[in-house]
Amino acid sequence: MTIFQIPFRHSGSGIKGATGSGLATGLVWASVVAALAFIVVYPIVKLIVFSFTARTGATFDNYFYAFGRVRYLEALWNSLLYGAATTLVATLLALPLAWGFARTKMPGKTLIRAGLLGTFVIPSYLGAVAWILLAGPNAGWINRAWMFLSGAENGLFNIYSFGGLVFVSALYAIPYIFVYVSDGLSAVSSEMEDAARMLGAGTIGVAVKITLPLVAPAIFNGCLIVFLDTIALFGTPAVLGLPAHFNVAAVQLLEFFEYPVRAEAAAAYSLPLIAITCLALWLQRVLRGRRSYESVTGRTSAHVGAASPAVEWILFAYAMLILTLAVVLPVACLAKAAFSVAWGRPLTLANLTITNFSELLSSTDAQRGIGNSLAIAALAATNAVALGICTAYAVARRVFPMSSVFGPISLGTLAIPGITLGIGFYSAFSTAPFRLYGTITIIVLAFSARFLPIAYGSCVSGLAAIGTQLEEAVRSLGGSQLTSVRHVIVPLLRKHLLSAWILVFILAIRELSVVVFLAGPGSRTISMLLLDYSEGGNLELTAALGLVLLAITLIVVIAGQALLGRDLLSPADKS
Amino acid sequence: MKLLWAISALSSFAIFAAQTPSLADDEFADLAAKAKAEGEVTWYTAHFDTALVGKIGNAFSAKYPGIKVNGLKATAQVSYQRLLQDLSAGAPQADVFSSTDASQFVELARNNALEAYRPQNEKKIIPAFQNFDPAGFYHVTAVSLVAITYNNQKVNEADIPKTWQELLDSKWSNKIALGDPNFSGMVGAWTVTLQKMYGWEYFSRLSASKPLITRSIDDTVTILNSGERMLAAGDPASTLRSTAKGNPLSVFYPTDGAIAVVGPSGIVAGAKHPNAARLFMEFLLSTEAAQIEAEAFEQSLRPEVPGAKPLDQIKVNRVVTEDILSNLKDVREKWRNTFGK
Repeated sequence: MTIFQIPFRHSGSGIKGATGSGLATGLVWASVVAALAFIVVYPIVKLIVFSFTARTGATFDNYFYAFGRVRYLEALWNSLLYGAATTLVATLLALPLAWGFARTKMPGKTLIRAGLLGTFVIPSYLGAVAWILLAGPNAGWINRAWMFLSGAENGLFNIYSFGGLVFVSALYAIPYIFVYVSDGLSAVSSEMEDAARMLGAGTIGVAVKITLPLVAPAIFNGCLIVFLDTIALFGTPAVLGLPAHFNVAAVQLLEFFEYPVRAEAAAAYSLPLIAITCLALWLQRVLRGRRSYESVTGRTSAHVGAASPAVEWILFAYAMLILTLAVVLPVACLAKAAFSVAWGRPLTLANLTITNFSELLSSTDAQRGIGNSLAIAALAATNAVALGICTAYAVARRVFPMSSVFGPISLGTLAIPGITLGIGFYSAFSTAPFRLYGTITIIVLAFSARFLPIAYGSCVSGLAAIGTQLEEAVRSLGGSQLTSVRHVIVPLLRKHLLSAWILVFILAIRELSVVVFLAGPGSRTISMLLLDYSEGGNLELTAALGLVLLAITLIVVIAGQALLGRDLLSPADKS
Repeated sequence: MKLLWAISALSSFAIFAAQTPSLADDEFADLAAKAKAEGEVTWYTAHFDTALVGKIGNAFSAKYPGIKVNGLKATAQVSYQRLLQDLSAGAPQADVFSSTDASQFVELARNNALEAYRPQNEKKIIPAFQNFDPAGFYHVTAVSLVAITYNNQKVNEADIPKTWQELLDSKWSNKIALGDPNFSGMVGAWTVTLQKMYGWEYFSRLSASKPLITRSIDDTVTILNSGERMLAAGDPASTLRSTAKGNPLSVFYPTDGAIAVVGPSGIVAGAKHPNAARLFMEFLLSTEAAQIEAEAFEQSLRPEVPGAKPLDQIKVNRVVTEDILSNLKDVREKWRNTFGK
């Protein structure tokens, strides 16, 4: 299965007589219930309550304020447009890659996979900063090259436009769609495709008429994740949207915290985003329910070699183009700025330096930001995975009568865009009795909740592959549930847990949308600093910090892959 | 360029000169002892840039060992927003708040969110900037200019607009970059003041040349440097810092007046580190701080330290706080309508 194993539908398989026993076991389950209540249920409930709160009591005023201006409504509408367009473009860009990977012997698969991992690791706002330099209408590298080659007066692209914003966001969303679809494809038997081919259908015809409908559910799941992620993006629209005169809900939300602060109105304003998500999830169920996908049987042989060598080389060239746009050019751009004395000057030996890095790493600001980011990402990943394995186990093994309710709760934050969750945590934990605003703790809690669905999904799919016999053996020998989890489940799922941990770590270390509402002076992260540096006009430092972020993430990914013994983006072994 | 070198050479000499009297700073010994017990001071600031904020913080910690400075630099609106977010959460993180939008302090003082404190060093700054708030809740700690900044590889000094009015020439269509008054206090002050000078019509005409609008005034440094646009209404300090690295940027002080933005600071009421905050206010007005700022091409508030540009050598239009208070909100709305959301 893939790294994003979000079980949109799942069921449990109980072990007879597996009801919890023992004080320790009871305590563990009690703390799981408490944790879910505390970091998932409470912030959501509080967000809703908060949206109806005024100093004088309950009120609808926040809603009147939040939806009472055309500008605000327009921003919500723009977010929908932005989310839909980004999803569409990302899907179109990713489908040929995924198909080529699963169905052809296209060359360079290892390289492409590494490149896609690189794409995944780059936060889209960092990509956006680089793309300003690449496709600024007058001076972007690409546009200058175009003007030079063609003799045209104007550049080819204007990154400061709706199209530019969508393009950059879509570029960095490709890995999500790719992983879902290539995984879906390798799970779909190619028998039907072979049959169609024998009956005389061409490569394209088979791909469009047979393969596409078969993997439609996988595509839809990928789309859903991209859509949810996009409408919550803060950095990219802040960097590219303002010059393009394009306001989105995420940026608008922060405006509610201007003087006079209307946090309650922000809560009200953020709720339709949840409604939209629920609508999308419902749509997904409906679409899924209409058809039967029994051809997705998991272990059948997927036929590789559906295309001629010419097509394979075209696919390879296409993959190289995508990776050049998403990784090579932006990183080259950032590297040029990071290693230049003056990045506005040509790259000569005299203009090369590492002082930007030494300046960066000697500043207390950056030191603390890097430390915070590492601590937050590691703690959040650990929390999410620990909670994920507990809830997944409780659901899969029907540990106690009501334990199936853990499923929807663990997946609950999936339906909540990052910015909405940020405001939920702000309303739940900033005031008394918690007073966690501005601490690292509140960010760790928010991230644990935000990434719980990913950890949970990974554990559910791992558990599904483990038979219950081993646990039954432990139980029949008198071992407690805790013993069987600790000595059977965790060792068997070691790789699942590790890959989930790495995934949450990557997502957490680059996360910005939640952090902008929760960070205080002592808890700023690398992502916050990147935004501050770039607004300070110091591109040399911004680029250097961006490269440091990428380096840290790559180290974690490489170390993780060494431990996993496989590629993070490749299908995991199902044993 | 020569002028720049002269200024920085002069500044390094002045540092040397300024180091001697710092031994005599015993006047704050009591305060420093109390501040030390508090151990740290948190500073939300729209003044300067991240690197300079860090340098000032380090210099403070070096002078008063054991007191850490948590400097948090952001645009005026974002800093203010964070402060208000803290205050409404009942958890003021900031001890000292500095902004480039003076009207924020009027609001804060009105809402009892500031502590009155008159730094002793306040009497030693350039007289024109003393006693900014007679009630003593906030004091001028920085003066910044908005001038015409440009990429000197894309446009010659001879050709650049010499006044704000000349910026309206249609030949600059698609060549100008501006910050946004909705995010930047400096740009807000600039907009309010130019409206006062030339009416809103100025901006209606300016919008015809389709300026590129970024969030902060310092974003224009990046935009000019990449060559994306060649002229900007920019902050000479951040621009000259980039120039000092070797980037092809220059500043012209328009003859109808560079806009001087007064940046105040105040102590947040209920601050967790009140004594450290007072000591830090003193430090912001000290010659040491002025020296560090001058080296980073900022204006100096202390007459004994020459700043980036002697204010008596150029025409300057000082921003009036009352104008900001009564017009900024309106101007921000008009800006959205004129330039698009």
